[in-house]
Amino acid sequence: MIMKLKTIHLSTLLMSVAMLAACSGPQVRYGDAKSVETVNANYGSTDLQMIAEAMTRSLLQSKAISGSKDAPIVTLADVKNKTSEYIDTRVITDKIRTQLTKSGQVRFAVSVTEMQNQTDELKRQNQSGLYKGSTIAKTGNMQGAQFRIEGSIASIIKTNKDVKDVYYVFNLNLINNESGLIEWADEKEIRKTATR
Amino acid sequence: MRLNNIAILLCAGVSLGLLSGCASKAPLAKSDSEIVGQVPADPPKNPLIKAETLRAESKSIAVTDIYFKKEGKNLTYIEETRTTTGNTISSVITPKVVEVDADKANASALTGGPNSSAFPVKFTNLADPKSTEPTAAPNATSLPEPASSSNASTSDSATQKKSGYQSNVEYGELRYLANPIRGLLIKSGYKLVQAKPSVTTPNQGDEYFDIVKRIKAGDFGDANYVLYGVLTEISVTDNVDEIPGTRSTSQQVALEVTVDFNVVDTQTSQIVASFIASGDGKEVRIDGKDTGFKPSMAKLMKLASLDLAEDVRKNLASQNFITNNPGSDGERRNMKRRLNDDPATLKVYR
Repeated sequence: MIMKLKTIHLSTLLMSVAMLAACSGPQVRYGDAKSVETVNANYGSTDLQMIAEAMTRSLLQSKAISGSKDAPIVTLADVKNKTSEYIDTRVITDKIRTQLTKSGQVRFAVSVTEMQNQTDELKRQNQSGLYKGSTIAKTGNMQGAQFRIEGSIASIIKTNKDVKDVYYVFNLNLINNESGLIEWADEKEIRKTATR
Repeated sequence: MRLNNIAILLCAGVSLGLLSGCASKAPLAKSDSEIVGQVPADPPKNPLIKAETLRAESKSIAVTDIYFKKEGKNLTYIEETRTTTGNTISSVITPKVVEVDADKANASALTGGPNSSAFPVKFTNLADPKSTEPTAAPNATSLPEPASSSNASTSDSATQKKSGYQSNVEYGELRYLANPIRGLLIKSGYKLVQAKPSVTTPNQGDEYFDIVKRIKAGDFGDANYVLYGVLTEISVTDNVDEIPGTRSTSQQVALEVTVDFNVVDTQTSQIVASFIASGDGKEVRIDGKDTGFKPSMAKLMKLASLDLAEDVRKNLASQNFITNNPGSDGERRNMKRRLNDDPATLKVYR
């Protein structure tokens, strides 16, 4: 009888522990956003950071930017994804733009992808008739960009039974919109090898 | 007692001597080369102004309104019936006139241009007597109804149909473009002289643009210079374009004027500046096509004339006729002129 009672008590305890453990959910902790990520060989946050940092540093040292008297006006164009992976290239260019803007050496005009918001705002201010004339941001006064930034990212992937080798090359160009001349170009190469 | 007096006198003498020693002394005259770090005093605020100098330095200019010459062509359709009775010839002409733009007429069947379908008529100059002769009409239109003639025992009747053009040239002055230019010349230091309006005569020719003739006729008073411009072209464009990256379009209505300018020295008839200037007034409307937007022509005209004046300023400055730089000759002329005109300013004439 005593033995049976002990068994019931033990079972109840174990069940309670199990239920508590089930209710607790996944464990969350904050990590360092800059820490190296090596979960697998696919394109990741460390690649994004390496590319953006290398390109920004190189671009700021270029003659077109550093030799300019006033901060030149630049706009973002396409960065083509030529890899087999899904890579949001806009995130790369946005990161580069943020770093360049923070440097104060470059000013950015809205890019094509941001034009809808820009025209909607101009239309609202100029054509709704609701705004005081002297405060209106007038249509026709947007500033054209002297340069545009465009480029591509490509990859070569080789795998065998034990090894996966991924090679990324990110290419960026600064093009003079008026002359069509490429004023600056640089590339960032990344090699990642995953072994089982 | 005497000793006391001597002592007092001595004390007074010593005090006087000390006082005179403490008193400030007039500085010794030094040559200019010895003055170091001293800024010379400002000249008097109202310097002596010689009326002759003022007159000599304050140049005056007259600005004409913008001349134009408009060439048009009247498309004329003539149906002529000539009746010959014995030695008498009577003629009945029934003209029908359609006014067309000269460019359109030129671009029509005359040259096989793009307006051929709009004006499917071969134009002949009716001022040319050869083309209007009944027998010789090589340029006459191949009209649907061919020329017909009928013979009777007592009279001959001939009907002829012709089409052609008559040149129509109009001269005049645009009264609304030159005022911003006058304003900039006032700002740059010139005295503005009001020009007499130019009046066209019947059968006016290109002598309408003879500015020297007008100068000699005294149309510009005692102006030193005359700035005159001849309208080269005025055009209104209305374009709709897509805005890349958006679902919107932009409607751009623009009024553009191009004017040929010359500045003539009235004394020597020398052209001292010559250039072509243009100005445009533009109205941009996002999705204007969808809403049936109609721009204000008055606003476009104002913007175009202001833009034209700005272009004139650049051209005059590049040819050293005016300058807006502070301290420049133009600025000084302007200042002197104002001093001369301002009754509150003290002036001494010699």
